[in-house]
Amino acid sequence: MSEVIVITSGKGGVGKTTTTANVGTGLAMLNKKVVMIDTDIGLRNLDVVLGLENRIVYNLVDVVEEKCRLKQALIKHKKYENLYLLPSAQTRDKDAVTPEQMKNLVNELREEFDYILLDCPAGIEQGFRNAIAGADRALVVTTPEVSAIRDADRIVGLLEANELKKIDLIINRIRLDMVKRGDMLSVNDVCDILSVNLIGVVPDDEHIVISTNQGEPLVGSACLAGKAFESICKRILGEEVPFMDLDKKGILDMLKNLFKGK
Amino acid sequence: MSKHVVIKHNRYGMELVLDSEISFEKLLEAVSERFQASGDFFKDRKMAVSFKGRKLSEEETMSIVDTIMANSSIQIVAITDHDSELEKKMERQLQTKGSSLDTGIPERNRGRQNHSVEEFSDFGETDNQYNAEFYRGNLRSGQVLECSANVTLVGDVNPGAKIISAGNIVVLGALKGNAHAGINGNDNCFIFALDMNPIQLQIGQYYAKSPDKEAAKRRILPKRKTEKEEYCAKIATAQEGTICIESMKKTMFRLS
Repeated sequence: MSEVIVITSGKGGVGKTTTTANVGTGLAMLNKKVVMIDTDIGLRNLDVVLGLENRIVYNLVDVVEEKCRLKQALIKHKKYENLYLLPSAQTRDKDAVTPEQMKNLVNELREEFDYILLDCPAGIEQGFRNAIAGADRALVVTTPEVSAIRDADRIVGLLEANELKKIDLIINRIRLDMVKRGDMLSVNDVCDILSVNLIGVVPDDEHIVISTNQGEPLVGSACLAGKAFESICKRILGEEVPFMDLDKKGILDMLKNLFKGK
Repeated sequence: MSKHVVIKHNRYGMELVLDSEISFEKLLEAVSERFQASGDFFKDRKMAVSFKGRKLSEEETMSIVDTIMANSSIQIVAITDHDSELEKKMERQLQTKGSSLDTGIPERNRGRQNHSVEEFSDFGETDNQYNAEFYRGNLRSGQVLECSANVTLVGDVNPGAKIISAGNIVVLGALKGNAHAGINGNDNCFIFALDMNPIQLQIGQYYAKSPDKEAAKRRILPKRKTEKEEYCAKIATAQEGTICIESMKKTMFRLS
């Protein structure tokens, strides 16, 4: 039984693409057959984050316009056998595809893949409508900022209006030190505002920037963000994974605090 | 009155739209007729002239200019080409459509750059092999520059952008995106760039992609280039079924 998941946020820059790359890779590492579709036509990024940019020959629009077969456009990941990417076109815009066409495409992919992840563009226009058209389930990504939460709320409303029932929330780039100082909304605050099921919390981690630049998703690695994405993947599969304690201090931190005289 | 020659005015002077169907002799006649009729209108003005609608050789251009001067009191001080207009057109198209530029590029006169191109003519012959189109500016992500002739881009091709040509491609800048030379299947074309760092290259039927990034231990971003490395121009050609990139040498284009 395959599942189509759209990763969306409304606001730009909160980590949709990073989340898609990491969740997709994570699910593939858990032996699921996964395809990621970049629906951000005209501003494609997912290929870069995955380090597959140099392999693109055909893209989503070519498939929809029947310039090539679907199989030709799918790019197999260099490391994971069962992870594929369908890149978007860079020279076109969102109007090149209709929701109906997306739905057909996704249905075609359902036969072969366990999970189909749709990386949604920012905004609520055509691109968003295309992305959510074929989805069974949504992951709404937000950061603990008022503006991102406002947009996420609007997105949740739109998803519900489109009869997408299964909506989960990912809070990205949270910084515990700031939450403690009272300078940042806490996980609970965000959940209270949005009242959506929380599926993961990803701490702000500089490893993310490094991995994005390198084109290697960090899911499964030892860093906090890597672990966070791994648990998100497991939760998507239906496992019960306890939320990790972000407050665990390393030895270094303890030493630091010792010298500060705390 | 003849419709074979149409005079249009522009900022710098006039533009002659020439009929490409009739013979050159007929055309000359038409030009002289046209200017006899309207030559007085221009009085003794100094003008720049450009031609459109018909490919002209250098000799043909000169004889048309002579005909104009003989039949009117206009002084032609310069022969211009369409560069500036082309550029504007290109810019407009890129901005509005952000898509391919396959239309609207008027056929160019044989440019001044003929001589230099002719010498390389064993590389990448195209239908109009003596033509080279010049473009200035950077191609940014999503922009595509398509040319039916050889093309020289004074600027960079950024990742996500593509430069396509029926002939050779010269990038006087950094090639960091995609390039396809000899799109009609000509394997003899070359791609030249001052900074050769493409994502994908295609020459005729051959295709090459950049190597994958190695899992860098420490340094993620490419090393800052030192002064010496900065101008290491490279040229890509198709050899024995693969695309080879070599450093540019002085002797490479020397005629044997």
